[in-house]
Amino acid sequence: MSAPANRREKRIAAEEAGALIARALADGDLLAIGGLFKQGRPMALVREVIRLGRRDLKLVSSPGSGFDVDLLIAAGCVAETFLPAVTLEDRMCPAFRGAVEAGTLTAHCVDALSIIGGLLAAANGVPFQPVAAWKGSDVPAHNPLVAPIQCPFTGAALYATRAIRPKLALLHAQEADVYGNVRHLATMTYADQLIARAAETVIVSVDRIVPPDEIVARPRETSIPCIYVDAVVEIPYGAHPTGSFPLYSIDEAHIEHYADLAEAARRGVDGARDRLADYIAAQVHASPRQEDYIARAGGAARMRALEDEAATL
Amino acid sequence: MSLDCTPAELQAVYLSRDLEDGELGAAGASAAIPMAAILLARLTHAPNLQIAGEMFVNPRPRRLWNSMLDDRALGACEASETFLELFGHSHRGLDFFFHNGMQVDARGNINLHFVGGTLERPKMRGPGAANISYAAMSKRFYICTTVHSPRTFVEKVDFVTSPGFLDGPESMKAAGLKGGPRFCITPLAVMDFDPATLRMRLKSVHAWSSIEEVAAKTGFALGIPSDVPITPPPTARELELLRGTVDPEGLLRS
Repeated sequence: MSAPANRREKRIAAEEAGALIARALADGDLLAIGGLFKQGRPMALVREVIRLGRRDLKLVSSPGSGFDVDLLIAAGCVAETFLPAVTLEDRMCPAFRGAVEAGTLTAHCVDALSIIGGLLAAANGVPFQPVAAWKGSDVPAHNPLVAPIQCPFTGAALYATRAIRPKLALLHAQEADVYGNVRHLATMTYADQLIARAAETVIVSVDRIVPPDEIVARPRETSIPCIYVDAVVEIPYGAHPTGSFPLYSIDEAHIEHYADLAEAARRGVDGARDRLADYIAAQVHASPRQEDYIARAGGAARMRALEDEAATL
Repeated sequence: MSLDCTPAELQAVYLSRDLEDGELGAAGASAAIPMAAILLARLTHAPNLQIAGEMFVNPRPRRLWNSMLDDRALGACEASETFLELFGHSHRGLDFFFHNGMQVDARGNINLHFVGGTLERPKMRGPGAANISYAAMSKRFYICTTVHSPRTFVEKVDFVTSPGFLDGPESMKAAGLKGGPRFCITPLAVMDFDPATLRMRLKSVHAWSSIEEVAAKTGFALGIPSDVPITPPPTARELELLRGTVDPEGLLRS
């Protein structure tokens, strides 16, 4: 039996993504971003958020984040972060660090279990998740998501970490069908499945739309079923410069170039703030269409090199 | 025996010797040296060493990468998990884990949050820590740093991101902590902890350094026993496996 002919598609055109994000996310809202560190980040959708000029956003993600968060901060979109680790891994995130040190950004003191526990609680529809693994650390006492509780059965001292319910989740995967069934081809799916279940609205960018029959052929590989997804949008290389394994690898040189600009701006080097603003103007504001963005990012030749690197792993 | 190796290679080999066959552990993010240690141990004395706790189960990386927590590095593996499983791993704990730090103090406490000022308005804000649970819940952890300076090794951390031995035996008991750091290895030396005070002391010095250099580059009064040997160098066989199989691109040599 095939799907009813009049079944509503959840696929939207790339040009429609901005309007949908604008409806789902207001200034000051909590935005969840999928992926981990430099992989599987929904970069094209993140650039939409910047183009919309959203301000005072609160950010949450899987436990490790970096480039996209730093770009959002550099573009002036963020007031608070609920992010355990913010790093480019081999160097620090310059805009994040600079904004916290300047007092313009509140980086809440959270860890992986308070974020995963909070998303888990929201996904399961309960107000908090108990945690028993934080002995000795200063983090729980300063974590706004956490309160001490007692086990109702044994009386043992525990912590509760409160449910996290993002207004909007932006995710990236390799494949989906037009009905919003999402398939990660990457080995790791990060916290994307939890985030999809926790957020009020979920928009997923994918590198390619595949026929519904291909999804039905291997249902166990559907990483996020359509019931948790509000819209899918096909954006080839939509994770660039982060990686979308196994299709294309991380564009380390691009991220390094950005980090150099942002670090110079943080240090107050002469003219560096303007150069960072120029980068954001060119990469984000002057390239609303993905084709233009990719052309600026090195075009087909650069993308092929990243595909080749991913293919040889 | 060969002295012809880099500090990072020596660190990886030294750590590998301490991992036991059949144990379960993970390297963490940005952890080329710890991952090299685990992979080398599997090739030498610990073929049944299990890697899990950071989403990739028994990965088979073809080479080392600076970031060791993505498909590029670990995508070839026996199974992948999601962050849902992090809860179970964190509460059960691992046999071993590894930590690096922006600050490491005399009792092995780790700070990745801030240096100077306050948490709300720091002089220098660090990356924070993804998972603080493994330090408390695992049987032991290793501190492996890529620098050895008075700014990194301080008497007391500004903030305890992950606990070492807190303020010593009494505070460990009060906090209900049982594990802790086994030793700390830096590019210059190996330091372990006096069992009575749980303070760091010098265990051995790498061949290219000296007791004087280590003491000068440590920002607290480091315990110095009367007998401080040279850190045993890698064997020819260990170096061959490390360079030929674990790290063919020479990341630990660059």
